[in-house]
Amino acid sequence: MATLDRRAFFRTTGLAGLALGLAACGDGGTTASPTSGDGGGFGSIKLQLSWKKNVEFAGEYFADTNGYFKQAGFSQVELLSGGGSGTSVESGLATGRCWAGISAPTITAPAVLQGAPLKIVGATFQKNPFAIISLNDRKPIKEAGDLAGKKIGVQDSNELVWNALLKANGIDEGSVTRVPFQSDPSMLTSGQIDGYVGFVTSGPVNLRLQGHDPAYLLLADAGLPLVAETFTVTQETIDNERDKLKAFLTAEIKGWKDAVADPAKSAELAATVYGKDQNLDVKEQTEEAKMQNELIITPDSKANGLFAMTPELIEQNIASLAKAGVTITGEQLFDLSILDEVYQADPSLKLA
Amino acid sequence: MIGRTVLRVVGPLVPSVVVVVAAWWLALEAFGISPLVGKRPPQVWEYLAASQEHRDAVFGALGITVRDAAIGFASGMIAASVVAVAFVLFRTVEQTFMPVAMLLRSVPLVVMTPLITLVFGRDLVGVAVIGGIVVFFPALVNIAFGLRSASPQATDLILAYGGTRLTVLRKVAVPTAMPAVFASARISVPASIIGALIAEWLATGEGIGAEILRAIGGFRYDEVWADIVVVTGVSVLAYAVVGVVESLVLARFSDRREA
Repeated sequence: MATLDRRAFFRTTGLAGLALGLAACGDGGTTASPTSGDGGGFGSIKLQLSWKKNVEFAGEYFADTNGYFKQAGFSQVELLSGGGSGTSVESGLATGRCWAGISAPTITAPAVLQGAPLKIVGATFQKNPFAIISLNDRKPIKEAGDLAGKKIGVQDSNELVWNALLKANGIDEGSVTRVPFQSDPSMLTSGQIDGYVGFVTSGPVNLRLQGHDPAYLLLADAGLPLVAETFTVTQETIDNERDKLKAFLTAEIKGWKDAVADPAKSAELAATVYGKDQNLDVKEQTEEAKMQNELIITPDSKANGLFAMTPELIEQNIASLAKAGVTITGEQLFDLSILDEVYQADPSLKLA
Repeated sequence: MIGRTVLRVVGPLVPSVVVVVAAWWLALEAFGISPLVGKRPPQVWEYLAASQEHRDAVFGALGITVRDAAIGFASGMIAASVVAVAFVLFRTVEQTFMPVAMLLRSVPLVVMTPLITLVFGRDLVGVAVIGGIVVFFPALVNIAFGLRSASPQATDLILAYGGTRLTVLRKVAVPTAMPAVFASARISVPASIIGALIAEWLATGEGIGAEILRAIGGFRYDEVWADIVVVTGVSVLAYAVVGVVESLVLARFSDRREA
């Protein structure tokens, strides 16, 4: 304040509606204090999801349906739908609107560098699910070199992934037209875009069921290995609520073990219970669940348990982020020690 | 004359800026919004003062938004004026056209935008259509009302001297409608900025409307707030400019002379 003189104050000019609007949006959850437990348990918590409620969160649905959250001592785990222009996990954690969130290193890392005290404590998708999805009968994009001269739909939250892809492959930003994109694959089929950045688990399945012939370029194959659907919490939670966090991760592990074992039930829970309002197709969601299993179950996660990250995997993620211009260390972004303790205490949680 | 008018219109803005900045600050403090997300005025100032790169990001985007808003404003106001004149000259046009105009207004723009971009593309034509739709309807209603408010005596006089309806329009209706035109222009200034932001968010992917969401995605909240500040500042400024022009034009056109 001392550095702010009157003129500066005026020059900074005002904002009325938007400022108040934003402030009003933010106050929705500040009064609830999810950190305080009631009784002997951990009370209720809010988990901010990274996307709309579809089969991507099958493990959470199982943990809730099969009572793993309750067993772990939570009276309720409220799953907050995300996606689109919704609140990001990182801002939700920073403002106390949620206790934990499912996000991605490409979103969490910039927040950490901006000073948000956050850490990733586990990764559901061991492999990068992001892909450039295009159509074989139009202008298929099968390698990074194919991107030049194309129109690509990129969501704002995937900004960093997109920039990383271009940088990692030495593609000039000006040679590709970036088109605003929400989540509507019909822009692809109507020819408004030649491709878009999305999860390989959902888009291609969807397009195939509609009778199209999708092509996809996995970003993991284009020099960008990254984990996704990562559990992000505040440093404060790690320091002061370690047992609660361990209980939460235990329930998540149990839920996801059920989910990977039963893609059909995963799809059913997504389509008929948790994501009922999304008009999801059970068949399509089943295909998605099968596809995402390939990203979740790797030799490493088989050996070390779900969500675990080997030091090599952490290194790969840090290197991918560096390609996107995000310079961060493994210690700044990841803390897998809590998960290690969970598996040490109960090795039976690992995949059989 | 111009100097005094400017001072009279702009002068009251200064306390309002103070009030708005104070409200912004107090609201964030009162609701306990983390400074990581809810940036306070000094943080925004520091962000803008810190580096040329930051200023380029914010003001570069602002330039595009101002251009987009100007396109929407101009296309909306021109279309509204033309249609309003047609309404006044030909009664039946109004009965046929008004429901269409209302349709444009009652369907949320966010829903219509994908269709608009499909038809008109994602370049300046699309921006003109999206921005124009926001501006068009309120301006149309206002201007048509203004044109109809022409004094019957003056109209009769011109018709009695053998003037045509076009002469009535030119000599009586248009000058009478001037206050209404400017009232619509004032409403349209913030509206055209909203139109530009929507167009940028959903169609063009450049300017403040796109950058602000990318900044949120990248957790660059100081940029978000700086964007909000500059776009609000421009909106207030443009409103004031319309006020100045209004005073000057009305002083010339109407019999209500400035003291």
